[in-house]
Amino acid sequence: MPNKKLLSNLPSQPIHEWINDQLYFIGGIGFLARDCYKEIKKRPFYGHLLVDQIYLIGVKSLPLILITAASTGMVMSLQYGLGLEKFGGKPYVPRLVASTILREMGPVFTSLMIAARVGAGIASEIGSMVVTQQIDAIRALGTSPIKKIVIPRILACIIVLPLLVAITNLVGNLGGLIIGHYELSLDPQFYFRRVLETSNIKDYMTGIFKAYFFAAFIAFPACYFGLNVKNGTKEVGIATTKAVVTASLLILVGNFFLSKLFWVVEKWL
Amino acid sequence: MALIEIKNFKKSFGKKCIHDDVTFYVKKGECLGLVGGSGAGKSVILRSLIGLEKPDSGTIEIDGVDITQLSENKLILIRKKVAYAFQGGALFDSQSVFDNLAYPLREHTLLSEAEIKNKIVAQLAEFGLADAIEMFPSELSGGMQKRVGLARAMMLEPEILLYDEPTAGLDPYNTKKIQELILRLKSKGVTSILVTHDMPTAIAVCDKFAFLKDKKISEQGTISQLTENKNSLIHQFIEGQMI
Repeated sequence: MPNKKLLSNLPSQPIHEWINDQLYFIGGIGFLARDCYKEIKKRPFYGHLLVDQIYLIGVKSLPLILITAASTGMVMSLQYGLGLEKFGGKPYVPRLVASTILREMGPVFTSLMIAARVGAGIASEIGSMVVTQQIDAIRALGTSPIKKIVIPRILACIIVLPLLVAITNLVGNLGGLIIGHYELSLDPQFYFRRVLETSNIKDYMTGIFKAYFFAAFIAFPACYFGLNVKNGTKEVGIATTKAVVTASLLILVGNFFLSKLFWVVEKWL
Repeated sequence: MALIEIKNFKKSFGKKCIHDDVTFYVKKGECLGLVGGSGAGKSVILRSLIGLEKPDSGTIEIDGVDITQLSENKLILIRKKVAYAFQGGALFDSQSVFDNLAYPLREHTLLSEAEIKNKIVAQLAEFGLADAIEMFPSELSGGMQKRVGLARAMMLEPEILLYDEPTAGLDPYNTKKIQELILRLKSKGVTSILVTHDMPTAIAVCDKFAFLKDKKISEQGTISQLTENKNSLIHQFIEGQMI
């Protein structure tokens, strides 16, 4: 039985306010994208800031991605193997693991981990800069925060995420192969050959293309929520949560529509 | 001739009206003390003077140019002439003092790294911060952060300097240091607006005052003009009889 008193104390947001917030968010992302487009064409281009962000977002995320990829491949191989063993379907494990990782799990899990690590980091960093007036200082010193702060982070995400997905694909399948060999008694050479024979470039490219969209789903909301922090440090935490939740939802919901889209495109091709 | 002129300035945040018809001017080389109670909107005026806020209506002229009509790109030219010393310094916390001071020079000048270093060393010496060059903002005291912020604001040798509560929260020693710096910059011909609650500092450095109350400039003039009348708002403010 729910505690009525407790429930009555929970803050409730009327539906029209919620809709208002979502429209503001969509409009805000649109304006941010427009500002980025305008600023990216102007000189100077801060290449060193982009390289810094590629290092922070890409290289520093590698351990997390390697662990996620290996465990995903291993657990999928184990579950598929044990499930299909009764029907003599163990030889299909390499194909199933590979196509699931390449098309779905690789890009989605990698993006979710990056949303948690990098999206939260971007939103909190920019939010803190707003609170401590560093963003105002960038403007007051005659420079653009979009150019100095936002564009390097968005570009770095877009460059790095597909590369991380490519690494996930490799390590995930390697994890599947290890479990296939040690737990399912599949010959590693057979496993490796089956992956190459049954997966095709379309499976691979679908996952990579999705990563470009997911990178935008992570970076734009993170920058938007960070820049819109207004009332002190408490809002930095709220912005961080919103950035991660929004990116995660966009990745999960967007993945369905992108999968559907890519199947349609593949049929045309 | 007025270097800074604000006319019929109006600004609201949502339904809350902050300023309704604010008008004042500052002549070249003058220092104006903008005073008023907490929440009167003094910082909003300062922020508007550098284009960080847009007024709802009215004009803000800097050297004859109405900056309310300028795009963000054109405001960059104004921001090279008008520097803003933020209340907390607003230093980039991921960069050293050297890099903070180098920032405007790297962005807006063609100086070599060696020339930038020479300029920064000289600037830090003038601000009494020679030992802080390699330090990070988190390693500095509040007073040092404000002085570094001031030094950074002065790197491009602006014509106008806007001080937002430069002595707030400082001990008497650091307050005196900041006072001396403001006076030294004033003697170099820098036009300035000082927003503060610290009346001894304001009286020491400002040529004239504008008192902000009820969304308007209620009184303006030199300190002797304003304190002659015991009923004046600024007199009451100094005496602590009103906020």
